[in-house]
Amino acid sequence: MIKEIRKSRWMALALTAAMVVTASGVATPAQAAPKKLTIGFVVHVIGNPFINQIIEAAKMAAKDLNVTIKVTGPAGAEGDAQLTAVQNMAASGVDGIATSVPAASMVNGLNAIIKAGTPIVQFNGLGVGVNAPYVGEKSVESGRLLGKMVLDKIGGKSAKGDVIVGNCYPGFPVLENRQKGVLESLKKAPGVKIVGPSDVKVDSAANFAAWQGLLAANPKALAMVGLCAPDVESIGKVNAAVPGSKTIGGGYDLTTGNLAALANGTAHISLGQTPFLQGYLPVYVLVDSIRSKTKINFSGFLNSGTEIVTPTSVIEPFKSAPLTFKQLQAMSASNKLTRAYYDKLVKTYVKDWRKNLAPIAEESA
Amino acid sequence: MSKKTKSKRFKFPEETSVIFALILLVGIVGSMRPTFLKPENLLNLAASYSISALLAGCIVYLLSMGEIDLSFGWILNLSAVVAGLAMIAGIPVWISILLGIVAGGIMGAINGALAVVMRLPLIIVTLGTASIFQGISLISNKSGSVVPTDEKLRANIFFRALGGEIDTPIPFILIFVVFSFFVLHFTLHKTRFGYRVLAIGSNPEAARLAGIPTKRIKILACTLMGVVSGIGGVLFLGFRGAVDPSTGANLLLPVVAAAIIGGTPLSGGAGTVWGSLVGALIVGVIGVGIVFLGIDAVWSTLVTGLVIIFAIGVDQIVRVRKNRIS
Repeated sequence: MIKEIRKSRWMALALTAAMVVTASGVATPAQAAPKKLTIGFVVHVIGNPFINQIIEAAKMAAKDLNVTIKVTGPAGAEGDAQLTAVQNMAASGVDGIATSVPAASMVNGLNAIIKAGTPIVQFNGLGVGVNAPYVGEKSVESGRLLGKMVLDKIGGKSAKGDVIVGNCYPGFPVLENRQKGVLESLKKAPGVKIVGPSDVKVDSAANFAAWQGLLAANPKALAMVGLCAPDVESIGKVNAAVPGSKTIGGGYDLTTGNLAALANGTAHISLGQTPFLQGYLPVYVLVDSIRSKTKINFSGFLNSGTEIVTPTSVIEPFKSAPLTFKQLQAMSASNKLTRAYYDKLVKTYVKDWRKNLAPIAEESA
Repeated sequence: MSKKTKSKRFKFPEETSVIFALILLVGIVGSMRPTFLKPENLLNLAASYSISALLAGCIVYLLSMGEIDLSFGWILNLSAVVAGLAMIAGIPVWISILLGIVAGGIMGAINGALAVVMRLPLIIVTLGTASIFQGISLISNKSGSVVPTDEKLRANIFFRALGGEIDTPIPFILIFVVFSFFVLHFTLHKTRFGYRVLAIGSNPEAARLAGIPTKRIKILACTLMGVVSGIGGVLFLGFRGAVDPSTGANLLLPVVAAAIIGGTPLSGGAGTVWGSLVGALIVGVIGVGIVFLGIDAVWSTLVTGLVIIFAIGVDQIVRVRKNRIS
């Protein structure tokens, strides 16, 4: 009997070892190379289409710059779990870390890592007080723009009626800033009554249900305005389910689902925040500063720009080449096309990142 | 004769199998990435997971009673918000901390009282109260983060000790949590309250017939969970220096997983506080190991699940074999 127990323990040991060894086999292949830089890339949520676009861009930068990239992040957006992931990255010996900062409770921990000598660049979510550059949109300004565009569609300053506003993550600083901008613009029409901002949830199914409920409760709403990536697609589906709906749908991000909603006319405006730059630029800044031995332990703002997309027009930031809606749709599904389109930007705006670094106050100006 | 021989044989503690699984995991990750075994890495790892370990140590009480609380993450959040807002309002730090812990205790007592009065399983009651506590937290902090930034506050020993500004060979939060585990272990296994908790979980009807005040014990156990969640909240505030609207949102799974991996059955009647500590460390080592081994984010969730199932499997194989011998 004792022999059997020993046998089963050894079997368990061997199987566990095999599992971990197999798992480590999916590690990025170049990590064994001794002098190659390794960059950690930590996102606030895994499995989100918009975040995937950022991750893909970061991987393109790693390939272009011949560095290894390790990508990680919690399955659900939560600051403490993400900070732990960043700390684990630092402990594993990476040369630099790019991370979004969705929570104020991450600030002290990130500054401790920076102080210990690992450079950090923030992207997409800004941690106020982190001693590191930030790559992202001008959040309040983009909110103002979205609010203005929606207002123009519903009759301008003389518009009268309800406008539903949804925030998928109340408390997330960048979203709160967008919300501030949207409300600021909508309030310019005294006849517009804001419904919300309501919590419309991040999960796509819950997001759709929330928008469905909001429209059912406010059937005469002039517009639905979302602040997160899943909103435009959900709003489109909700509109499609109501025959003859004239409710204007607006929101953020250029995921394949959002572009499809614009293309079939069930949603009308979506602002992009150039996920390519939000993924590519942090990796570039880290690698460039490490190779040139430049310290980046200070705050600063690198604007990733705002893309303005309607079913009839696409306006890309930084005077990029003109783009049709169909080309944009093709790009959203192809890394190769995306990399080719932004090549000029890589050779100018990205390369000259030091010149483009602005005071952090500009982010929320 | 053979019975006598068996009783004299040295018995390994019930946590042996799960400790074996932990050592195995640490050994495997360490052999592949030796930097992982640096003492400061291991201590920082333990510190990062200490709050969820503390909660796992306490949820053992509820699991031992055959109950489960879904709201403790939001109790932690709201307690930290109460303490943080009190500090910002100018209330002395130590009184603010006490307020946060008391708030946690009250929330726990409400859970217990509702479950007893409504004669509902705690899981159903806390499904509702979790949302209530989250909602109150969002309203209180206006859906933003609570950050006590005042220099005088930051200079308080509470923030300096927990935030790592005072150099100690072992992080202060870790010392506190290990001490708490001694208290939790002692209370569950050496006090009348602990025996009653286990008796209720083993057979509630028999416990009632034996004269155990089951309702009072249930409310007390829930209050204890609230108090410990409140302590977790104020520790978080000191450790991270801020509390966010999302703080505590994702604690449920790792905490319950830690207790179950540690050897506490969902069926009630038994529980191991120290096992839950080892379970929390296993969850932590898996998280850190994934990063150290460079496993891509897309694979990490799958690998986490597989390794957790495997750790439980190793524990179960050893446990079953051990039972067969005895």
